[in-house]
Amino acid sequence: MELSRRRLLQGIAGAGAAGAGLALAGCAPSAAAAPTDVVDFHGPHQAGIATAVQDRLAFMTFDVTSTSRADVVELLKSWTTAAEAMTRGAAVPGAPPDDQVPPADTGEAAGLPAARLTVTVGFGPSLFTGPDGSDRFGLAARRPAAFVPLPALPGELLDPARSGGDIAVQACSDDPQVAFHAVRNLARIGRGTVVARWAELGFGKTSSTQGSADGDPGGTPRNLMGFKDGTRNIVGTDDAALDQHVWVADADGQGWLGGGSYLVARRIRMFVEPWDRDRLGDQEAVFGRFKDSGAPLTGKAEFDAPDYAATGADGPVIPANAHIRLASPENNGGLRILRRGYSYTDGIDATTGTLDAGLFFLAYMRDPNQFVTLQRKLGTSDALNEYIRHVGSGLFAVPPGTSGPDDWWGRALFS
Amino acid sequence: MTPTRSRAACAAAAVLSAGLLAAACASSPQPSAGGPPATNVSIEISDAGCGPNPATVPTGPVNFAVTNPASDKVTEAEVLGGGKILGEKENITPGLDGAFSLRLDPGTYSVYCPGAAKDTWAFTVQGNGSAAADTSLTAATQAYHDYVVTEVGQLQTAAKTFTDAVRAGDISAAEQAYAPARVHYESIEPVAESFGDLDPAIDARIDDVTDPTQWTGFHRIEKALWADHSLAGMAPVADKLDADIATLKAKVATNTYQPAELANGASDLLTEVSTSKVTGEEDRYSHTDLWDFAANIDGARKAFELLQPALAATDPDLAQQLEARFTDVVNGLAKYRSGNGYEDYGAVTDTDRRSLADSVNALAEPLSQVAGKVV
Repeated sequence: MELSRRRLLQGIAGAGAAGAGLALAGCAPSAAAAPTDVVDFHGPHQAGIATAVQDRLAFMTFDVTSTSRADVVELLKSWTTAAEAMTRGAAVPGAPPDDQVPPADTGEAAGLPAARLTVTVGFGPSLFTGPDGSDRFGLAARRPAAFVPLPALPGELLDPARSGGDIAVQACSDDPQVAFHAVRNLARIGRGTVVARWAELGFGKTSSTQGSADGDPGGTPRNLMGFKDGTRNIVGTDDAALDQHVWVADADGQGWLGGGSYLVARRIRMFVEPWDRDRLGDQEAVFGRFKDSGAPLTGKAEFDAPDYAATGADGPVIPANAHIRLASPENNGGLRILRRGYSYTDGIDATTGTLDAGLFFLAYMRDPNQFVTLQRKLGTSDALNEYIRHVGSGLFAVPPGTSGPDDWWGRALFS
Repeated sequence: MTPTRSRAACAAAAVLSAGLLAAACASSPQPSAGGPPATNVSIEISDAGCGPNPATVPTGPVNFAVTNPASDKVTEAEVLGGGKILGEKENITPGLDGAFSLRLDPGTYSVYCPGAAKDTWAFTVQGNGSAAADTSLTAATQAYHDYVVTEVGQLQTAAKTFTDAVRAGDISAAEQAYAPARVHYESIEPVAESFGDLDPAIDARIDDVTDPTQWTGFHRIEKALWADHSLAGMAPVADKLDADIATLKAKVATNTYQPAELANGASDLLTEVSTSKVTGEEDRYSHTDLWDFAANIDGARKAFELLQPALAATDPDLAQQLEARFTDVVNGLAKYRSGNGYEDYGAVTDTDRRSLADSVNALAEPLSQVAGKVV
């Protein structure tokens, strides 16, 4: 039996927890979830990639503790079913409420709208080949040639406790509790087969996939440095660009990944306090954009194309080591990635007393080498490096979407 | 080091919307605290042009205020003299305004606004003598030049002791000489960073380099000494370190500074402290971070002391606050003095590291305000 979140509430009330149920209901938004609040779960590609970026993120990676391939398959089937239901705003499917057993759904999203929830799953290189080189689940031969752990890159000082993982789950929603609820419930379902490895909550989107044409209702979002981020990002409706830069083609290698993508996750710590002490002119030179308008230093409006050839009295108008210059497709042989990052904070750094905050960078691409190429350049020369450090990292192969109720994440890989 | 930041201060400043900073790179002396009063000149840009008002001013500091009520076509104004841009304000779109200041000797100048029907307008400075900047700031920049030259001279000598020990394969002597050599680099690091690849060559950490086999400088040898316990293959790295320091010495001999560069360099030194020294990342093998920490503070304090008289004239409260906060940091560090240097940073507890960090952050915040007061 499946319960809508609203009916779940009634179920609780009917089961005798009337007081609690009423109190919860009293806090719930009165408007029913509008149809526009639901993002289609099934499709050729997983949702949560080209989807217009939601406001909040809950991200978690897992290590598989079971040695059984059947357990992993069972987990992925259960996860697919639960995620599809949660995406519609429904509760995690399970037995009807029973006083004698804990509810199938943890309940904190009851009464909340679907809030454009998407749940996106990816597989780490370690799922295919163990640290000792073992073929853990008979998948080693199906690992795409391009799918190797990221090499050591300049500008990073990685914490192993915030890196890697056999499986990653990205939940995005306009409601933080809906996103958290999704990963929490998948973690719960997975107990005994997987253990959580690390997690990150993103409190604000820093990228738009809506571009200048459609526009983001709130304007291009800003990162914690106060700059608009993702002005020139790949637009989620630009199928040609997505096919060229984001979706893995069947012909790229392993067929099971056709229609999928690669996810690079980087926890990028910002040195917020020194940045806040940097003079405005230098901040703008570091990015190559004006802070207020978001316009390139060679333009007037945000979406003006940067002119990297323009020179002023003392050299290039957009400095040689400006972030946008080094990251631009124009200066990287046309290379692009789809960015979908979020601002994070994990409180105060106990040693330095400074904010532990920054950008949880999420990017989707057709080949992990797109990121490696960009980061080799940025990590070496980017003016921004004075104020940031990459401290966590993960690379995941994101399987294609599911075709319907009988399909499940990774079916082609495990079949 | 600061990860591969080449400051290229003038190149960067030229694009800034803040005309003050752009002007800081012009060759003319800068207006500052004290001296003759400034004259205000307004430049209203339009499709027709950019006539200055007044078009004739007395010798001395001039504050230009640029406004653009309605022109989409003309969005910048420059003051030219002797064929050079002395000051400019770009990207003044309709409704925006901006300002920059110059100190101008008597002579004929022009105001230039590309795209206007009449794009060049005469501007005259009358009077006798020179508009030389406030003597205290001129003296400060000269004294800072001398300080950098002295520090790099000492760096060369101290580094030679270090590299000689490395070439001789004497691990113990090299370990002894490592931190005392570095302090003369850490005190002037923002200057070294302004010379492109020199700072990465001298001071890169392993996570700053793309290819570890191309890694050079102090930290490469630090790893050999404290982590690998072997100096095998380090002689060429020692030779290159000597050569890079010789290059640095030649460059600083002719380098000149603007007052704002002193202030910004001091801020950069505190950023160094709070992002890499407090965390123990800088000298992760030798744990000599406190030597570098103290040298960063010394370099910042030197720059501040040179600017202090001019700052005291314009903002005595800020000058006093900085004085007190420098003292707090120096006193905090003094607890860890040992012999002619500092204790092993590994022995400093997290609580004590936090206390050092808090005092640095309390100093860095007001220090970031100084550049705006001395240009």
